[in-house]
Amino acid sequence: MRTPLPVLVGIAATAVVSLVLPFVLDRGGLALYIDVALTACVVVGISLLMGFAGQVSLGQAVFFAVGGYTAAMLVLSDVPALVGLVVAPLAAGVLALLLGIPLLRLHGHHLAFATIAMHLIFLVVVRQFDSLGGSVGLMGIPALSVGSVDLADHQSMALVSLGVLALVMLVAHNVVASRPGRALRALATSETAAESAGVPVGRYKLLVFALSGAFAGLAGGVWAYYVGYLSPGMFPVSMSITFVVMAAVGGMGSIWGALFGTVLVKVIVSYLGTLGTASGMPDYAPAVLSYAVYGLLLIGVLLFLPHGVVPELRDRTARWFGRGRPAPSAGDTQNGPEPDAAAAEPEPSRPAARP
Amino acid sequence: MTQFLMFLINGIAIGCGFALVGSGLVAVYRITGVVNFAQGMFAVVAALSATSFVAMGIWHGLAELIAISVGGLAGLITGVIAVGKRGTQPLTALLVTLAVGFLAYAVEVLVWGDHPRSLPGLSGRIDLLGVPVQRQYLLVIAVTAVVFVLLWLFFARTYLGKVLTACASNPYAARVVGIDVTRMAFIAFALGGVLGGIAGVLIAPLRPISFDTDVSLIVGGFAAAIFGGLTRPMMALLGGVLLGITETMIRAYGNASFATMGALVFLLVIMIWQAARRPTVHKESV
Repeated sequence: MRTPLPVLVGIAATAVVSLVLPFVLDRGGLALYIDVALTACVVVGISLLMGFAGQVSLGQAVFFAVGGYTAAMLVLSDVPALVGLVVAPLAAGVLALLLGIPLLRLHGHHLAFATIAMHLIFLVVVRQFDSLGGSVGLMGIPALSVGSVDLADHQSMALVSLGVLALVMLVAHNVVASRPGRALRALATSETAAESAGVPVGRYKLLVFALSGAFAGLAGGVWAYYVGYLSPGMFPVSMSITFVVMAAVGGMGSIWGALFGTVLVKVIVSYLGTLGTASGMPDYAPAVLSYAVYGLLLIGVLLFLPHGVVPELRDRTARWFGRGRPAPSAGDTQNGPEPDAAAAEPEPSRPAARP
Repeated sequence: MTQFLMFLINGIAIGCGFALVGSGLVAVYRITGVVNFAQGMFAVVAALSATSFVAMGIWHGLAELIAISVGGLAGLITGVIAVGKRGTQPLTALLVTLAVGFLAYAVEVLVWGDHPRSLPGLSGRIDLLGVPVQRQYLLVIAVTAVVFVLLWLFFARTYLGKVLTACASNPYAARVVGIDVTRMAFIAFALGGVLGGIAGVLIAPLRPISFDTDVSLIVGGFAAAIFGGLTRPMMALLGGVLLGITETMIRAYGNASFATMGALVFLLVIMIWQAARRPTVHKESV
């Protein structure tokens, strides 16, 4: 795949800015940076799941939580922190695989609902386990350290989060660019057509679900080390939904879109949060403002930019340079939430390869 | 035995609440093909408005009726946002209703704060064949029965009901014979709002309602509605009642913390069983 120069410049600039930011941000900024980087890991997974497998998960916070709890339990029983970071994505991925076998038989809104149910069941189960701290949660999770190197401070955690995000994006990119990735794009457009072209639809959907679970689990593990405590109350259903909001805003099926959506939503919400906690504002202002932002952003993007911000921008710039694909016609909206597979990558879509 | 019957009636009443929320989902899904995740919000909005109206000194009964129309209005607004724009697909509309739910959270917290509120209902108990029953439970059951009969008559016997059903079964054909499908979709959402509102004002005396109660209401309602494949109101009633009884029995004789989980597992098993029965039949992009 030949990458156009402006895109390369953009990627390089993003990388440089991300590397410089941890050294110039203050403490609050670093906390937001870490939050954005780890959330983006989850959102990349959702973006793949929604854009490429055509599935929606409204329970992704479960895998984030499972990763966190796994890493925390391991490190609390004196396993090295780094091992926790390897096991956390594995545990979340395997759980997603096992849950996916029955759940992914469901389609569309049934699946959306089943994943919310999965989230609610998870919350009930966690509260019942005393070894997981029940409703109170796990306290005193040691900070991340590798050997004798202590990575507890905000700056190191920001760099670790950036590394984790880079890894997730690299894996996601390679999956998308691979042969199964092309089959996945066919799958997102029409399951029936993909199936008849010989794509093992069920297996691929399951693998993407597991992969997105593993991404969330990895992020959850890092997050557990960073915040130092975990409780079921930290994973409300609205958390899962906000992940989907960010994926939809950035553009489903677009890795950079996932990053962009996360940054945009998190920064706006954080800015409004600061505004809401300013003196003279009522104490419920931050909650009201953030709910309103999630609601308005999601409505606006779904109705007016159905492909999400990044694919839309890419289409417009491509047209600007005069070598892009033709503009998506009005008929494209017939695809609705199934993002146009071709819009996800800056190359002409090809028929699904026979695996 | 008396105790068992008491739990049974409580369970039926709670199940009627689920069924009412579920009936709103059915009304909207039947006509628009959209699963309305804001359905629980209508109940919450109506219940919270009812507490305000009662606090303002409006008579009981009248306050509830006004609150139900507020629910209907919330339904209409949700409908306009979710399906008002041409060519919005059902799954997009589903995400939009989730987004409307977020917006509603903002409004609800702004207007009523984030503490649970409850509404005084019918007080006292009456003796029914030796079983003491709370009068509010009987009211819930009676109203639900009336609502479902009316709903059935509406869909089966009235012109508007038949028009709505036509939109559901074939929107294209409905449009061809001159039915304004979009307007019918708005009516469906408003009807959903009214049904949700009825559920809200009936449930509010039984359990405190706060802005985020909608999650548990929608879960119960969806579980009830899915029982009838999201299209048959009477099956939703049956599903809701079964679910209410199951939950109450788990709460009474088992571990109370697993009551909700019972409902969810019930829901998942039914959905997966339904999907397994017809593995290849599904509509694209729905």
